[in-house]
Amino acid sequence: MSAVTATIPEDVMKTVQAKPTLRDEGVKLGFRLTLPAQILVLFIAMFPLLMQLYISLTDWSPLSGLGWWSAWSLWNNFANYTDLAADARFWSALKRTAIVMIVCVPAEFLLGLALATLFADEFPGKRIFYSILLMPMMVVPAVAGYMFFMLFQSGGPVNDILSAISGFPVTIAWLSDPTLALIAVMVADIWQWTPLMFLILLAGLVGVPEDQIKAATLLGANPWQRFVTIVLPKMKTIIIIALAIRVIENFKIFDTLYIMTGGGPGVATETISVYIYKLTTQDLIWGYVAAIALAILIVLSIAAVFAMKHMARAREVPA
Amino acid sequence: MSAIHLQNLVKKFGDFTALKTMDLAIADGEFMALLGPSGCGKSTTMNMIAGMEEPTSGKILFGERDMAGVPMGRRGVGFVFQNYAIFTHMSVRQNLAYGPKMRGAPKAEIDRRVSAIAEMLQLTPLLDRKADRLSVNILQRAAIGRSAIMEPAIFLLDEPLSNVDAAFRAVMRTELKQLQRQFRQTMVYVTHDQLEAMTMADRIAVMDHGVLQQVGTPLEVYNNPANVFVARFIGAPGMNLLRGRPAESDRGLVIDLGPLGVTPPLPAEIAAAVRRAQGDVLYGFRPEQAALVKHGQGLSLPVTFVERIGARTIVHLGQGESAVKAVFDNDVGLAIGQTAVVAPAAQSVRVFEATTGIAMKAG
Repeated sequence: MSAVTATIPEDVMKTVQAKPTLRDEGVKLGFRLTLPAQILVLFIAMFPLLMQLYISLTDWSPLSGLGWWSAWSLWNNFANYTDLAADARFWSALKRTAIVMIVCVPAEFLLGLALATLFADEFPGKRIFYSILLMPMMVVPAVAGYMFFMLFQSGGPVNDILSAISGFPVTIAWLSDPTLALIAVMVADIWQWTPLMFLILLAGLVGVPEDQIKAATLLGANPWQRFVTIVLPKMKTIIIIALAIRVIENFKIFDTLYIMTGGGPGVATETISVYIYKLTTQDLIWGYVAAIALAILIVLSIAAVFAMKHMARAREVPA
Repeated sequence: MSAIHLQNLVKKFGDFTALKTMDLAIADGEFMALLGPSGCGKSTTMNMIAGMEEPTSGKILFGERDMAGVPMGRRGVGFVFQNYAIFTHMSVRQNLAYGPKMRGAPKAEIDRRVSAIAEMLQLTPLLDRKADRLSVNILQRAAIGRSAIMEPAIFLLDEPLSNVDAAFRAVMRTELKQLQRQFRQTMVYVTHDQLEAMTMADRIAVMDHGVLQQVGTPLEVYNNPANVFVARFIGAPGMNLLRGRPAESDRGLVIDLGPLGVTPPLPAEIAAAVRRAQGDVLYGFRPEQAALVKHGQGLSLPVTFVERIGARTIVHLGQGESAVKAVFDNDVGLAIGQTAVVAPAAQSVRVFEATTGIAMKAG
């Protein structure tokens, strides 16, 4: 290569480099043509964020009689954020949200992976089971909340089943007990969202090249070794995507939970979303709400960036 | 080291019979090519030898040992897949070490075996490369190495060159043949490319529609095809076959080809076999063994097409039932519309029964 470039006279090289190429022209034109759309997208994305940031630095409330744009007259610097740091109810809601996530996401993942492994092979009635399995995902979360609200009544089917198994009448007040209520809420979430995990993981599982699995078998790997050395590494990207989706969604858990317990008894099942909802509709301190929302957004963004980085690294090594 | 015996092997998929009663003995250390068009049952046969498919009936023996019920991981078979099935998420080293590692070999031994095999296959400088960005010949060597490290008695290769461009195929053919000489294992090589089978195999098993047509050395199947299918399939272009009726003449037994006239007299030993049979025959000769002769000494046919392929020229003569191809040197002076008179070299003539397609042989 170097031998070839050396033969080109220097002045020729200069003119070649100085002249804007057709490709550069194309890039410029493309930029100009898409500019209006880009500004619109930027506006849609940025405006609510900037508005939220602005309000979060004030004491503004819809009851203050001011339009949100005049909120500067209620400027309180970073008081909302310092309040947030000292808000015990916020921190306990955050902790509860984390507990729900730590239980639900791995449970959904493991159940989904087990089901996906089962469904990767053929068995009689597979299509029917497949359809049944995906149904929870289609149920409107509010309806799911109502279903589980009924199931976990003290005279409800869950207690009936427990009575039938144990042989003596069980009358557990599931949704009135702080611990049991949280468990009930998590059961509902796992029921509803395992199918999504299953669906994504199944897609990943059938994408694992079959001949590589056969090759591993011929080299003497047993099923467990094949799963660990071939299947899981090949599914790495899709597993990260599935976990990221569920972590972000689970963090925002609201509708099912709110209908089942309303965050109660007391604040026993109050997650971040429920807490924000109550602050917004009952306390009406929107400046503070904006501060909480922004803080959460930052935390979730960091998590998302971390996941995406991992994905980008995984993509360098395509399956 | 192990011989392979296939005894009355049958494979059915539902109503479809992929393999009809196959008997084949592959000697210890032999390079056997299973050759045939797509869907002839060659891959099915290979998969059954590997244990990926269960035979519907019949037996597979490795040496004296019946393989029925032996899972594929325990057969001691090395398998090279069509696309190599290299574990792309691992390095070359990890690929090579995979087998011994799964069997729980001690680390020192794995390292020793990996470096030995890498040395043999000239993979040493590439050991720590990720396996997803390697060129095809390195992929092939890695795939062979990954199987060879297990020291299998039997090596199965499933069309390993079909994803490779033509120029490279020649290189890889030589490489593969050399590797087989190095390893001295029994090799079964599935291919639809006769050139691969001819150049590499000790013997070729030609298959079609689930039926084993002929087993023999490359020259045997080329020179003495057992039937019409093998005659047409082997060779590029395949053997010319013309329908006709045996007739006595003052120069000896000839074949009356109807409108094409009569053939030159048949060699004595074939003539004897033809005399014993009855009915129509197919008169066959290789396109490479046809010569241009003077009028009256051969088959007179119009030139319909001239294919110049560089070193040689393929001339298409006649049409329909009486279509014949002949291969000449590149400077042959024939053009479309002219009439050519061709005569096959006497020793290259083969005659087949018209109804069964089976070769008529002397003795």
